[in-house]
Amino acid sequence: MGRRAGRPVLVRREQVLRGGQPLAFGIGLAVALVVGIVLLVGSGHDPMRVYERMFEASLGDPRAWSVTLNRAVPLGLAGLAVAVAGSMGLWNIGAEGQIMAGAVGAAWVARVGGEWPSPLLIAAMLAAAILGGGLLALGPAIARARIGVNEIITTLMLNEVAIRLVQWLVHGRWKDPDSHNFPLAPMLSDNARLPGLFERAHVGVVLAAIVILLFGVASSRTAWGYELRVAGSSGATARYAGISLERKILTVLVLSGGVAGFAGGIELSGTSDRITESLSNGFGFAGIIVAALALMRPSGVAAVAVLFGAVQIGGQSIQTMGVSSSVSTILQALILFGAIAAGVLSRYRVEMVAGDTTEVTS
Amino acid sequence: MNEASLIGLFEATVSFGALLYLAALGEMIAEKAGILNLGVEGMMAMGAVTGFVVALQTGNPWVALVAAVAAGAMIGLLHGFFTVVLGAEQVVSGLSLTILGLGLAAFVGRGSVGEPAGAEMVSVDWGPLSDIPWAGPILFAQSPFVYLAVITGFVTWFVLWRTRLGLAVRAAGESASTADAAGHSVVGIRLAAVATGGGLAGASGAYLTLSLTPQWADGIVAGRGWIAVALVIFGAWRPGRVAVGALLFGLTLALKTRLQTFGVDFSPILLSMLPYLLTISVLVVISIRSRNRPSPAPAALGIAYRREER
Repeated sequence: MGRRAGRPVLVRREQVLRGGQPLAFGIGLAVALVVGIVLLVGSGHDPMRVYERMFEASLGDPRAWSVTLNRAVPLGLAGLAVAVAGSMGLWNIGAEGQIMAGAVGAAWVARVGGEWPSPLLIAAMLAAAILGGGLLALGPAIARARIGVNEIITTLMLNEVAIRLVQWLVHGRWKDPDSHNFPLAPMLSDNARLPGLFERAHVGVVLAAIVILLFGVASSRTAWGYELRVAGSSGATARYAGISLERKILTVLVLSGGVAGFAGGIELSGTSDRITESLSNGFGFAGIIVAALALMRPSGVAAVAVLFGAVQIGGQSIQTMGVSSSVSTILQALILFGAIAAGVLSRYRVEMVAGDTTEVTS
Repeated sequence: MNEASLIGLFEATVSFGALLYLAALGEMIAEKAGILNLGVEGMMAMGAVTGFVVALQTGNPWVALVAAVAAGAMIGLLHGFFTVVLGAEQVVSGLSLTILGLGLAAFVGRGSVGEPAGAEMVSVDWGPLSDIPWAGPILFAQSPFVYLAVITGFVTWFVLWRTRLGLAVRAAGESASTADAAGHSVVGIRLAAVATGGGLAGASGAYLTLSLTPQWADGIVAGRGWIAVALVIFGAWRPGRVAVGALLFGLTLALKTRLQTFGVDFSPILLSMLPYLLTISVLVVISIRSRNRPSPAPAALGIAYRREER
């Protein structure tokens, strides 16, 4: 190996830069907004007016906040689902499908119990939603716990299966006879709908906040959460400490699926008026970004979810200005990429090394 | 079920199979070097829109194909930069790449929705071969993309298993530190593999908009990128087996619109679940068998390599 003129290497900082993740997040946001300006100017729009409109439509007044919070619910719960699995070093890439499975469970209960009193019906729908999401995660959970099948791929594949299950239902058995041959499920009855909270917001916002809070407490303040983190960081240590890895993997993945399913139930009962194949409109995938930005911590998940909700709602609002809503999709991905880069630079510094490439730096 | 409709079915099977095969080969090359790229769906969308838009501008499908490959490779390199250079989580970066690619493609193509194609790839004329009954229409009247996919499959096999370069790529995916110690640049190899994978995904996307369905619409990739990811596992990271899988999954895509014409009373939607369910089954079988013998998956797949922390 010869000497080279010099090459950049990443060298671990002795101390992680303070402010860490929120700072990285802010840098990611800034990077995204700057690239957004380039895209907007390039397509002949005034970027400041577009951003102003996005802000007003998503965070400008109580009504805007209510819509944003509604959107933050599926994003936050999907993010929590990913974070729960992630705290143990597992990847649940299947929130997208589990949201659908949860919605199927809730929609089924709504079909059966259309005449039940509203609180009972809604409670049963949400319970069925948790079951539906958990059920879809059960297969990957058993496969991972018992025979070590990679859960990334199994959960990913089941997304496509669950979306097609909903397609099959709304094209067939669940098609509304009054829909003039359109593949549409019937509208939910009024007693199957979540009560309102303020403006457009529904009580799902509170339910999601409670669930996220519960998991936050459980993961940071209980033995259960501690065991998860131990199991996640070292399987050998966990076994030595008498923690059953198999059972932990099983419960965590099923729980993760249940949380995503819960999101599907709330989305159906609170926001969507019927079950459709686009009910989980990328929420499961966005949830992975949310969880990654929150470093798999429930407390961070809530904050990031509100911000992503605002970006999404803001993105919808600029369509009336003739701006493609794809701008908001691009912004979401760029926030993450920017934050990853900033996160790496808070832990490493770039140094030019000259010469001997076998030198070990630490 | 008459002869013509059966021929049509197999013709479409080969077309869809080639579409999936191109993208799956790209994903396989990246995974062989140790990088899982879940951005295939987004890279295909970028290839599809770039091919379509450049065809509109130039009227030349080959220039459009080159541009689509370049676009796929470039967005693939973004994943490479984050996972290989910065050591970011491959799952997160890949999924973000899918979101970014779908968003960018929708943005670039927003003015081209519903436009007639600027150029199309003309089917290859094999002369008398095209007149052979059955084999003629099924194998010798296809889009150039089909033959491109076959050639790419052979080249991939040859390079990965019969050259020193291929040995280095596989070493980077099995044990990065060993490859490094042997004097190979793990960073360079992995970046090149991810870029190649992106280029092939771009070509696969261009096949959609330059040949199969010559138009641009949001969501045109329609989940086929995920099937390509599945195929790599289904084919156990071997080009030959991935090809067999591509034909099988291509058959399910071809059957989807044809079940009714064949008088089969089975939901085409349920049929379209098959590739995903088959892949899960294969993964389970691999895991059970790998108790006794090594798994076909590259050992260092998904693991970032930082030589400084060796």
